[in-house]
Amino acid sequence: MAVSGFEGFEKRLELHFSGDDPVIGNMGLRLMDFESLEKVLHAVQCTVVSAVGNQYFDSYVLSESSLFVYPTKIIIKTCGTTQLLKSIRPLIHHACTLGLMICSCRYTRGNFIFPKAQPYPHTSFKEEIIFLENNLPNNLYYRKASVLPSKLSTHSWHVFSACDESHILMQNMPDELYTIEVCMTELDRVLAGKFFRHPNDGKNGDSAGKEMSEITGIGDINPNALICDFAFDPCGYSMNGIAGDRYSTIHVTPEDGFSYASFECVGSIYDDPDNIVEVLKKAVQVFRPRTISVSTTCTGHKVWKCVAKAIEPLGMKFRSCTMDEFPATGSVVFQTFTSRRK
Amino acid sequence: MAAEEGQVIGCHSVDEWKEHFNKGIESKKLVVVDFTASWCGPCRFISPILAEIAKKTPHVIFLKVDVDELKEVAQEFNVEAMPTFVFLKEGKEVDRVVGAKKDDLHATITKHATVTA
Repeated sequence: MAVSGFEGFEKRLELHFSGDDPVIGNMGLRLMDFESLEKVLHAVQCTVVSAVGNQYFDSYVLSESSLFVYPTKIIIKTCGTTQLLKSIRPLIHHACTLGLMICSCRYTRGNFIFPKAQPYPHTSFKEEIIFLENNLPNNLYYRKASVLPSKLSTHSWHVFSACDESHILMQNMPDELYTIEVCMTELDRVLAGKFFRHPNDGKNGDSAGKEMSEITGIGDINPNALICDFAFDPCGYSMNGIAGDRYSTIHVTPEDGFSYASFECVGSIYDDPDNIVEVLKKAVQVFRPRTISVSTTCTGHKVWKCVAKAIEPLGMKFRSCTMDEFPATGSVVFQTFTSRRK
Repeated sequence: MAAEEGQVIGCHSVDEWKEHFNKGIESKKLVVVDFTASWCGPCRFISPILAEIAKKTPHVIFLKVDVDELKEVAQEFNVEAMPTFVFLKEGKEVDRVVGAKKDDLHATITKHATVTA
């Protein structure tokens, strides 16, 4: 491992809102003007690189990861040394001007490769929890923070979840959708090499990104998705996939010594389970990493079983599985796998 | 320089659309149609950028179509994601850029634009 380098591991924030102002109609947060959104991103130290929307939601590729805006839900995922939690206050404020009140918050992340390089409040999970406690309104009464360990000291999963009364009452109604977050480290060198720009290639970030999506097979993971991709200079890649109301997102830090790739997607408990197995297989095969950690968030339990089914046949050894329950969020299952290759 | 050159022209009715579409064919200029929605954030992001490009490329015609106002036109061009930029030459589609992609927009305009005498 290098002594220092770019931090690929992301911090992820998901906020849900509710409101019943008929003037807003059903577009809610999507009506936030761009200047306000820019202010939020400025607080986090990132900018919009590319974006696309459909009838269900807006997606943005950022200088340090991704942003998804639904009418009543926002998901921001940022890497590097961004101060993601600083987006909470401005987001709550701008949502308020649209007649929307925050009703749940979920903050998750893995382990940083370079924890000492992180700025406040990301210097430790303890600091992050204190910051969250101080910046979330009191109506988010039900709160829980927990670290899910694994057999690898370098891999654990941090979760903070908070919600209001309405979400607690809804717990008996399972959510159809689940989220899978895959974190991959020590990527195959040759495969990671495909995410470097070639000098004088006559391309720009958009066209180079499109080429990377094609030659790496990322475009084939979900052929039905519209992909918004970007290749950074001199290396690095990000993409958001949109298909109906579901997003997927991939971010790659290809440098040897701290290589990292993440894949996140949304699935439905009513889908054919073979679908998600195939999707995970394809995503992992793009990178052939030495270590994989996967977090599944679901209000039921079944989907985590698909993860091992997808990953073990790829020459990976199952190492650990830990689980915990969180208010409004449901069950979070954290699994790790390491390569059988010497 | 005509009043409409260097600007993004909004088409708010089918008649307006047909008028500008036909003007585009007659002029033989490159026509870039921005399919946009008022509730789509990425469209608000690219809007000022497109306006800047329009100012600098007066030999290209820029039209803006709201997918709710002109549903039929959006359907005719199979617009499913926004913004979608459709590039027309003499009434025929020669290219399109789906998404708010600054660099791609610049490159595609340069690729297809013809400088009129």
